[in-house]
Amino acid sequence: MSNLPILQVINLSKKFGNLVAVNNVSFQVNSGEIVGLIGPNGAGKTTLFNLVTGLEQPDSGKVFFKGTEITHMAPYQICQLGMSRTFQIAQTFSSMTVSEAVRVGAYNRCDEKTVIAKVNEIVNLCNLEAIRDIKCGELSLVQLRRVELARAIATGAEMLLLDEAGAGLTAIELAELMRLLSRLNSEAGLTLCVVEHVMQMVMGLCPHILVLDSGVLIAEGVPDEIRRNSDVIEAYLGVRELE
Amino acid sequence: MLKKISTPKNLLLLGIILFTLVLPLVIGSNQYVLVLTTTVILFGVMATSWNLIGGLGGQLDLAAGAYLGLGAFTTGTLLTRWNITPWVGMPLSGLVAAGVAALIGAPLFRFRVRGVWYALSSSALVQVLYTAFMMWSSVGGPMDQYLPRYDASFYYLRYNTYAPYYYILLMLLYIALYLNYYIRGTRLGFQLMALGESEEAAEVLGVNARNSKLKALMIYAYLVGVTGGVYTCLFGYYHPRFFDSNMSTEVAILGIVGGLGIPYGPLLAAAVLVRGRELLRANLGTVVERSSMAVYAVILVVIALFRPSGLAVLAGDIYRAIRLRFAKDTYVKSADSAGD
Repeated sequence: MSNLPILQVINLSKKFGNLVAVNNVSFQVNSGEIVGLIGPNGAGKTTLFNLVTGLEQPDSGKVFFKGTEITHMAPYQICQLGMSRTFQIAQTFSSMTVSEAVRVGAYNRCDEKTVIAKVNEIVNLCNLEAIRDIKCGELSLVQLRRVELARAIATGAEMLLLDEAGAGLTAIELAELMRLLSRLNSEAGLTLCVVEHVMQMVMGLCPHILVLDSGVLIAEGVPDEIRRNSDVIEAYLGVRELE
Repeated sequence: MLKKISTPKNLLLLGIILFTLVLPLVIGSNQYVLVLTTTVILFGVMATSWNLIGGLGGQLDLAAGAYLGLGAFTTGTLLTRWNITPWVGMPLSGLVAAGVAALIGAPLFRFRVRGVWYALSSSALVQVLYTAFMMWSSVGGPMDQYLPRYDASFYYLRYNTYAPYYYILLMLLYIALYLNYYIRGTRLGFQLMALGESEEAAEVLGVNARNSKLKALMIYAYLVGVTGGVYTCLFGYYHPRFFDSNMSTEVAILGIVGGLGIPYGPLLAAAVLVRGRELLRANLGTVVERSSMAVYAVILVVIALFRPSGLAVLAGDIYRAIRLRFAKDTYVKSADSAGD
């Protein structure tokens, strides 16, 4: 069960003018996995997320989700199939309360009768009871990221793409987030793909890591392999000149 | 059961409804006040309907005049050409307006036209229709088209008092208000609110942006189209100048100044601003021509500076302040009586 590929990306490319943001990238994510996607700034991680979730159209290549081709689907259709995401720069529903924002996501799989129960369940799950009636516009960045995550979980997605969910969090908040994510993974069977700069989080959370540099997938493997991979070290620290 | 229904809020609502129903009987002899009130409600209907797409959905629509004009021409043409009663013409007007809205909205929303570009596109629709109807001679072209005249005719919806039009518009207003409250609590309402804030975020949460916005646009266009039918009967004629950019902008202004997305905001703004504008015109217009518009503009700027969240928020603050005061009094009183 857990070895079936839920997401397959095949030879995906995207250019912006002369800049090749994503260059012939192929990988696959198995159902129930937690995959980390790392790489230096400008490596094309967010663009890759945008291509996979339908917010941008690739120039070439294909994306399959649960065996269905989603390459040219609209974001809402992809979400209805069972994949949602969060954003690097929080996309806040400022004038809505936390529970209202969660409700937007919950409507993906619920009707008017079941939506309230679903919202309550997600609010509890993500520890948002204390702020459920506060407007999102008045929240701190940390709280906003939790709301974004809650919104995405509420869609009933089987796979979540998290774009820098850990950025700007303190060590304690980060540990809490990691606990929540691994709980979602082990209990709800959620497949996760996380873009992250915080190495502590990626290495601790993800048994499977992809490394992107200048739009190219340069390495793939378990954390220990990635840590020792010379291409990865080069991409992050520059070329070793004296050796 | 009775206790549950007779909350202060519901009693206030009942009072307002009763007041609006008997108002023409009280001021019936004063046709000036009645036409003024009717105008307020006319703008109230349009701005309240606009609130669905503009307030909830966050699309700055400037095409109210287009849908009003289409409604006026539909009802007017059916009546003058084929002698079809406005009672049939008005619902059809709504359908024509909603149909055109769908034709315009589908490609705009498909290609993600939003923000200022949506505002400009919708504003252009008014101008395009104005020019098209000026040239379309078989529905009258640039000539005023007069409806048949009668002192009192139910079939032709012609009366020599404003009261019947007042009641029809009042009914539309209550429908528009009800829809605002109702939709706000449904899937469509939540999806529109989310779209108004961040389209990308809404879409990855499963919101079909085009369909949701199209639904809101069509409901709004339908209500303004029906209003257009009433409008032509109220004035007894129709002309392409009904495709009015200024009026379209004013509808959006009322929606914004009233408080985006707040159901009763646009009506409040219409009551204050349309009434205020007419007062200014009556008092200042005779002193310096057009000076009333300058004062009106200053009032808008002051509101924008000090209450950018809208009049409805201001009204809410005042209401809360009064309640707090009231609650304090009763608290003190009960404390006193406990002391006895």
